[in-house]
Amino acid sequence: MQYPDNGAYMVAAYVVTAVVVVAYAAWLWYRIQKNR
Amino acid sequence: MSRYDRAASIARTGTWLSGIALVGLVGVYIRALAFTPIERFQGPAQKIYYIHVPTAWAALMAFSVTGIVSLLYLWLRDRKLDVVAASSAEVGLAFSVAMLTTGPIWGKPIWGTWWSWDARLTSTLFIFLLFIGYLVLRNALGDPEQRARYSAVLGTLAIVLVPFIHMTVYLFRTLHPRPIIAKPGAPSLPGEMLVTFFLSLAVFTVLYIGFVMQRYALTVFEDIREEEAAHAVS
Amino acid sequence: MGDAQFWRAAFALAGKDLRIEWRTKTAFASSLVFAVLVLAVFYFMRDPTIVTLVDIAPGALWVTITFAAMLGLNRAFLLEQENHSLDGLLLTPAPRTAIFVGKLLGNLVFVFTVELVSLPLFILFYDLPLGRELPTLTLVMVLATVAFVTVGTLLSSMVVRTRFAELMLPVLLLPFLVPPVVGAVQLTARILASRPLSELSGWLKLLVSFDVVFLVLCVLLFEATLDE
Repeated sequence: MQYPDNGAYMVAAYVVTAVVVVAYAAWLWYRIQKNR
Repeated sequence: MSRYDRAASIARTGTWLSGIALVGLVGVYIRALAFTPIERFQGPAQKIYYIHVPTAWAALMAFSVTGIVSLLYLWLRDRKLDVVAASSAEVGLAFSVAMLTTGPIWGKPIWGTWWSWDARLTSTLFIFLLFIGYLVLRNALGDPEQRARYSAVLGTLAIVLVPFIHMTVYLFRTLHPRPIIAKPGAPSLPGEMLVTFFLSLAVFTVLYIGFVMQRYALTVFEDIREEEAAHAVS
Repeated sequence: MGDAQFWRAAFALAGKDLRIEWRTKTAFASSLVFAVLVLAVFYFMRDPTIVTLVDIAPGALWVTITFAAMLGLNRAFLLEQENHSLDGLLLTPAPRTAIFVGKLLGNLVFVFTVELVSLPLFILFYDLPLGRELPTLTLVMVLATVAFVTVGTLLSSMVVRTRFAELMLPVLLLPFLVPPVVGAVQLTARILASRPLSELSGWLKLLVSFDVVFLVLCVLLFEATLDE
């Protein structure tokens, strides 16, 4: 391998962002459904 | 159109925008992870850049909107502006969380340290703290008109503060030079990577707008419910 | 309505606040005790072979001053709240900004008094080399104090109406403390080391610009914090 072995960091960052974004989107959607 | 209908229409548009942006985000993920070349010296962790910087951009955008709209509210006293400012703050907080977690995860493999108190990082940390302060203040105030006014004051103070924070850290650093560990070549991304980056930037921008519209509509719905409940009691 | 009436109102308000504080002296006494405590704690919590007194003196001094400032800040408006005297003030022909300036002056005098007593204590207990640099240090203390007391006065006028006022004020104020207090600590450290003016100018410019910008901004924003 020519490049450094830091794929785990990449995975962690991508997962964290996805979780935050999806969780917030879901929470917004849920609250809108409840209150409309 | 009644107030409810207007809010429902904003909710619809916002949900669509968010939905499209989320699909776009999946596309960006696939493109970034599978179809963008790995940077030879920095390794796969460099790809965090395609996610971290757009979340920071979205958080900064959210903060600016809250600040500017706060000032507008103080001038025009239109409650709709207050709802926009508050919605932007909550959305901004969400993006800030993503930004502040991906930042260190990126920093450790690329810069060798989880955190460096440089001007940009420190400013983003303080934007996060100011968001929290703003939302905490709003939470502690019951009267809507007072809450709008006070939040607007804080929002205005906050946006004026951030350049000073930046300046403070910059002064601190230039007078306390530290060895600069290899900084990733941010501006000079080759073609493929640049495309991925800008795609991500666009997706996060649309996501921000969609979220704010949804949050705005949600606030109006909640207000209407509260008013109806108050009427029912009286 | 002229300038004279404005200043008369502001000074009257400041005087009233200070007289009330002087009667009980609670906040002032607490600040003093806090100063001595900080002095002692900072002295003992270091490894004397690695960290000299001159190293920690600036930090210790400014921790003391900012905490004293926060103690005094809430009291000013809390007293108003308790006596509903703000309503009375609003009925007078005094311009609104005079109320803010009056509050600000009162708070400034309070914090300056704490500084006036704390600084000699520090010089004494930490054996600080101060002589020619005293005027410069005084200037720095004035500039930095004006900075955070201005923002603190405005924030406390809003926060005093919330339930957890004592907790909310630090949460909201702390980000605004960073530029002036970091500047003050950096300047104090350099002054104690007798560094030339050229090394101070950057931080001094930061302090002055912060003061000017936030003084104007807070005076303009105060009106928005008044409930009618």
